[in-house]
Amino acid sequence: MQDILDILTSRKSIRRYKPDPVPEEMIDKILEAARWAPTGENYQPWRFIVIQDQETRNQIGDLSKMGSGKRMTAWYCMGSMQKRFEKIKDPAKRAEVLRFMYSGEVSEFCKQAPVIIAVIGDLQIGSVDVPYDLCAATENILLEAHSLGLGACWVHGPVAATRDAIKFKEILNIPTGMNEYKVICYVAIGWPKEQRKHPRPKYALEDLVYWEKFGNKERP
Amino acid sequence: MDKTAYFNDLMARTEELFYHELSDCAAWKTEFIGVDFIQSKDITGNTPEEIIENCIKEIAAAGLIKSASYSIGGESILLYLKVHSCIHIPKEVRLQKGGIEPYNCPIVNMILDQLIEKLNFATTYVADMEVDETTGECTVKSAIFETAGKIGNVCDWSDECRLIDENNQWKTVSC
Repeated sequence: MQDILDILTSRKSIRRYKPDPVPEEMIDKILEAARWAPTGENYQPWRFIVIQDQETRNQIGDLSKMGSGKRMTAWYCMGSMQKRFEKIKDPAKRAEVLRFMYSGEVSEFCKQAPVIIAVIGDLQIGSVDVPYDLCAATENILLEAHSLGLGACWVHGPVAATRDAIKFKEILNIPTGMNEYKVICYVAIGWPKEQRKHPRPKYALEDLVYWEKFGNKERP
Repeated sequence: MDKTAYFNDLMARTEELFYHELSDCAAWKTEFIGVDFIQSKDITGNTPEEIIENCIKEIAAAGLIKSASYSIGGESILLYLKVHSCIHIPKEVRLQKGGIEPYNCPIVNMILDQLIEKLNFATTYVADMEVDETTGECTVKSAIFETAGKIGNVCDWSDECRLIDENNQWKTVSC
């Protein structure tokens, strides 16, 4: 069996895409990967909506922009956004990055992604831990897209707030009843217009791992 | 039986559970908590001030709070609210003592809901919530966006709030 560590460690979130379409057989492979995610009691609560229509992507992009923009405008006004980007030393560059964030433009990129896959879960099929199953499926989508040479990004912002999640459901005709569907995220997918191999800094394992009991850093 | 204490205990337990599921993102998802009450009232108004004041009057008349003071600043995006003697203070204090920053204010949820429902505001966001057990006062800072185009209009809210406090630019409303 092949070790997939190279796939895992070279993946990064891609937010800029070439306009080239994603071949249908690649979309099928990505969906197939999602279908094989681990799921409690094998309930498979996930449902996937593949969106390629430009008008629908624009609507989702606008909703994403508003979701991020409202939060980041408030965070900037509260001063926390500035702290997050203190490491950018050039004031002009830092200001532009901050504007890109608090305007919400940072989350508009799905308009340029040729494919969006909305990941939703059926709450009525005896499922257990639906959100966790959906996250596992989302991870499979990201990894399969990356292994095919595509770029992808997991986007939660537009469905993070309850009112926005309802708007998202309405855009896609997802039933909005209290007991019907959970929307966990969408994944934007396309051919990367930016460097894919750019792993961001990660905490060292010794900072993350305990042995046998919480807090014990000594490996037996 | 103290029914208020009972229901606050239920809410505190529920919010603890929800926080464990979603951590800081829990706050983003609680915007409908409390809106059923205010939607059952006939809140009217043509301006944010009228809507806010009429909400506070109804909320105070129901005994959920004693009064509330508010000010709008920061390019008309900041809603700075102080809630006095809220029925939910024990719930917030219980969370705070457990190390969870209070994140769900039903009172501000009601007001923001009516700005959206009655004035068609594009969106809102609760940015900060401070609970003072000794004074029984909650201070809540929210972003209110009349239109999507207002998103990105930034300024320094610490300055805005300081000026409001120093110049006593508060409007206090009770029932």
